[in-house]
Amino acid sequence: MEDFLEKMAEIMEVDSVNPSDELTSFEAWDSLTTLSIIALADDDYQVSLTNAEIADAKTIEGLHQLILSKQNA
Amino acid sequence: MKINFSNKKITGMLSILPSNEVMFEDEMHNYSFSEAKSLKLKAAMGFKSKRVVAEESTTSFDLTVAGLDYLFENDLLDKSSIDAILFVSQSPEFIMPPTSNLLHGKYGLEERVFCMDINQGCAGFVVGLQQAFMLLNNEGINKVVLCNADVLSPKVSKFDRNSNPLIGDAAAITIIENTSDNTTIVGEIRMDGSGAMALNIPAGGARMPVTEETSELYEDTFGNKRSKNHLVMQGDNVFNFVQTKVPEQIKNIVDNSDDSVESIDYFLFHQPNRFMLQKLADKIGVSREKLPFNVVENFGNSSGVTIPVVTTYNLGEQLETSELKVCFSGFGVGLTWGTIIMKLGNLNFCRLIYK
Repeated sequence: MEDFLEKMAEIMEVDSVNPSDELTSFEAWDSLTTLSIIALADDDYQVSLTNAEIADAKTIEGLHQLILSKQNA
Repeated sequence: MKINFSNKKITGMLSILPSNEVMFEDEMHNYSFSEAKSLKLKAAMGFKSKRVVAEESTTSFDLTVAGLDYLFENDLLDKSSIDAILFVSQSPEFIMPPTSNLLHGKYGLEERVFCMDINQGCAGFVVGLQQAFMLLNNEGINKVVLCNADVLSPKVSKFDRNSNPLIGDAAAITIIENTSDNTTIVGEIRMDGSGAMALNIPAGGARMPVTEETSELYEDTFGNKRSKNHLVMQGDNVFNFVQTKVPEQIKNIVDNSDDSVESIDYFLFHQPNRFMLQKLADKIGVSREKLPFNVVENFGNSSGVTIPVVTTYNLGEQLETSELKVCFSGFGVGLTWGTIIMKLGNLNFCRLIYK
């Protein structure tokens, strides 16, 4: 989780993120950050995500859970 | 479908690019992005300039004709030696007749010359090459002229930052011939029609003719504006498909042949954008120098024409005088993904011209 939070902070262009933060609350949130998240899931977790799934995940923690659940599927 | 041929080779490659150049900055204020975000997009995707037709009246056919004229005028191709013409495009001159027949008529070719249009996009070079190899197995067919051409810039909304910054126009002519040399050509083409609509132009065909209604702009959830006459792309699905299927395909081909990834000098891939190509290089495990990704920043993504463009732009002189082992790979519309590994070189011509 620590590593995931660090990478999310990098994508969102902030110093740090909290698990409860909403994805759409970041100033950097746009289609390009979505693509960076898709690439992160693919590179680090070998998981494919869609734009709709990321939007449904809502928070940083929700996104992390989504990736882990797909990895175990 | 597996690809396995011998005694065939490519003997020439010519790319034709529009002389009209458009810079990313010229158009970025059309996008629903702040300037800072647009520049971030530019840096990540490798957008800089693109080549698009200056007038929408310039078509794929016109760019192809400019290339064929160049070859005939410079004695690089003899009209009477042509046995077949393939025209691969998603922007044909008419719904009927085939554009390849129009080329046949324009140059007064003999009745025995076979013509065929192929509707393919990003994988169009690999599909066209495979069809050319198959044609060469027929008696009396010894030289195939493969034309890849797409002018899709008029089909993209200027207010769509998903597609407009990257789309470019181009044509290419590749000559494929039988040879007594014992060449080895291996590869594979796969399809997944369940993803057929991941890249599409909704209106303009029989299912949805162009009307006033289909020409109205609408806004998507990311703030891009386009009409149903425009190209639309599900970027997330395309990204996932490419990153999964292409490395898998290359591994399978290499594992089932005498080749190794290390023995391949260059990976000449379709050029969607820099971001995807760098990720692909890392995934396949090849250095980024062996997988050129500079087409989108200099010319734009011209669908099935990008493989000839990446080849003639980066290796033109080298391939006129020496031989390399290359891996061609095209992936996209269909969904279609195809890879061919073969030797390429000592070509009669390997050039890029502007029209």
